[in-house]
Amino acid sequence: MFFTYLRRELRRRRKAALVVASGLALGIALVIVVDSVSSGMAKAQDEVLQSLYGLGTDMTVTKAASASTGDAQRPRFRFDAQNDGDTTSQSSDRVMVQGLTTLASSTVAEVEQQQGVSSAVGGLSLNVVKVDGRFTRGQFQQNGSGGTRQGRTGGAEGGQPQGEVRGGGADFDINQYTVFGTDVTRSALGPLTSSKITSGRTFRTTETDADVVVVDAAYARTKKYKVGSTVTVKGTEFKVIGIATAGSGDAAANLYVPLKRAQTLAGEKDKITTIYVEATDSQRIDSVKSAIRKNVSGTTVTTSADLARTVSGSLSTASSLATRVGRWLSIVVLVAAFLVAGLLTSSAVSRRVREFGTLKALGWRSGRVTRQVVGEAVVNGLVGGVLGIALGLAGAYAVTALSPSLQAQLGGGTGGSGLGGGPGGGGFGGPGRQAARTLEVALTAPVGVTTIVLAVGLAVAGGLIAGAFGGWRASRLRPADALRRVE
Amino acid sequence: MYELRNVTKHYTRGRETVHALDGVDLTIPDGDRLVIQGPTGGGKSTLLQMLGALDRPTSGEVVLDGTDLAGLPEARLTRVRSENIGFVFQSFNLIPTLTAQENVETALVPLGMRARERRERAAEALNSVGLGERAAHLPSELSGGQQQRVAIARALVKRPKVLLADEPTGNLDEGMRDEIMDVLERLWKEHGLTFVMVTHDSSIARKAPRLATLRKGRITVEENAGA
Repeated sequence: MFFTYLRRELRRRRKAALVVASGLALGIALVIVVDSVSSGMAKAQDEVLQSLYGLGTDMTVTKAASASTGDAQRPRFRFDAQNDGDTTSQSSDRVMVQGLTTLASSTVAEVEQQQGVSSAVGGLSLNVVKVDGRFTRGQFQQNGSGGTRQGRTGGAEGGQPQGEVRGGGADFDINQYTVFGTDVTRSALGPLTSSKITSGRTFRTTETDADVVVVDAAYARTKKYKVGSTVTVKGTEFKVIGIATAGSGDAAANLYVPLKRAQTLAGEKDKITTIYVEATDSQRIDSVKSAIRKNVSGTTVTTSADLARTVSGSLSTASSLATRVGRWLSIVVLVAAFLVAGLLTSSAVSRRVREFGTLKALGWRSGRVTRQVVGEAVVNGLVGGVLGIALGLAGAYAVTALSPSLQAQLGGGTGGSGLGGGPGGGGFGGPGRQAARTLEVALTAPVGVTTIVLAVGLAVAGGLIAGAFGGWRASRLRPADALRRVE
Repeated sequence: MYELRNVTKHYTRGRETVHALDGVDLTIPDGDRLVIQGPTGGGKSTLLQMLGALDRPTSGEVVLDGTDLAGLPEARLTRVRSENIGFVFQSFNLIPTLTAQENVETALVPLGMRARERRERAAEALNSVGLGERAAHLPSELSGGQQQRVAIARALVKRPKVLLADEPTGNLDEGMRDEIMDVLERLWKEHGLTFVMVTHDSSIARKAPRLATLRKGRITVEENAGA
């Protein structure tokens, strides 16, 4: 009888049931969308951080900030002016350490000895500015004579010739890119782990000092590099052995070379810029951080949480919007939906006083009548849940399909060389030390099982809350009301 | 058998206290047919609620077969209603979403009967009021008289000792009224029920063997030798 009665009542009161269910559906759909967008934000943030760190890295160790030595390392390029008609191009590579500060390679071993450290790997980030082109002299043109002379000899004969220098100039191309020196003997950590070798191969452990390079796929496309091509950096020819595609966001560097080669290029023997650290237990990252800071002097330790705090830009804005406004909005809508569902159920009970009074007069216990009311409300809640989940999934799908692009700005402190940044350019020596780095990430809204479970839970809760309102009202009905209404 | 001893029922309506029943003494033997008449607000329905274990008196005793209903807890009153008392209401009070058959079955739900037995008993009850063929119809598909017959089947399906009817013909035209009264009279005789009916209809009251009149909460009972 319970189910027959339930089915018939819900069918008869379709419109009222739909209003209650729709309210709950709206609240639940909002929760799903906000929840999935939030996890999409978190995922995007993780991707941003991962593209810098590589997989498995819990923190990085860099040299502690010190007085800037920027002036001394400002790039200088020396070119000679060529004679007219000389088309010989000149080229100059300037290789600089990113962030301009380095640590001794031996620091890696020191860090690795700290309690809670599973492994540590050093790497050297370099910025290369390549300037090449031609520089030609201008020509002196004398007024009135029509003849031309070379500018420098113009004033040798008597009288000051009247004229001007015409033509000449410079045609230089500046190419700026980043190089990362990776420890080829320990490939499990470091930025290269966030990329996938899509062509060729990665480094062999024996290639510690080989002239080989792995090129980021995006950079390879612009420069038309392929496996087997040759890349020249500061006069050294590197053979392209592999093309690496960044898993998400931007790659950490344009070129990856063996650490030793990078040190040679930069003239920084046994120096590194960053140590990538993996902790034995991800729950103990803070204690590992403290241990390194205490025991390895002159270092700055940056955990992914620290780095996450430096993320700004539209990703950060959207993330805080989702967590603050979105969460509150969905709570408000949910509470309102629950209340409306409760009040509608309660008022439906009021309209059915005679019906429930009659059942009580027939000998139905209050509990049975209440169960009937709660049953109807729970089914309404579940219908609302199903509608809400469908609506929420559609919303989340729409967000994923549209994939709005968000910008994540990392760091943004006082720049070191002034040349950092650009694709894959920024170092990660810690907040305040690196140039701002902007990454573009596409927002997705993945709906997890927990979100669905949450939605179902909310639907049942909504139904129960509505049922509680109605049930409480029904339980207070006196059977005499069935008669009193007709007196 | 009912024995009502000095039953009073007071309601508070705003600042006013309404004396719905004021010292009612009444005995209703088993198998009796009592008709209660009186002006609106005289206490008829209140008396019916006391008899039907729907409400408790402010003071006095309402004894049914030796048990004082006034002192019983709600759960016991519910049980008394489910087992011993059948109700017929003026507005039929059928559940609009349930069929005639299912409406009749609702009276058997509290008895914990198996679904099959419930169906059989309900079908039998509907047959006894001449509505066996309309069992699958919703109340809205039945005439007023037919709806009241479904309500009568619902009241009697559990085979109660007492049938209480509150203006059972109040919403029916004259033809229907006689039809319903015939059914009620026949079933009263067949089942040996104690039948108490509230009515405004003087033609029905005239036919009752015992007629109680309630005015301002006070009762007078007269025997009708001619009925």
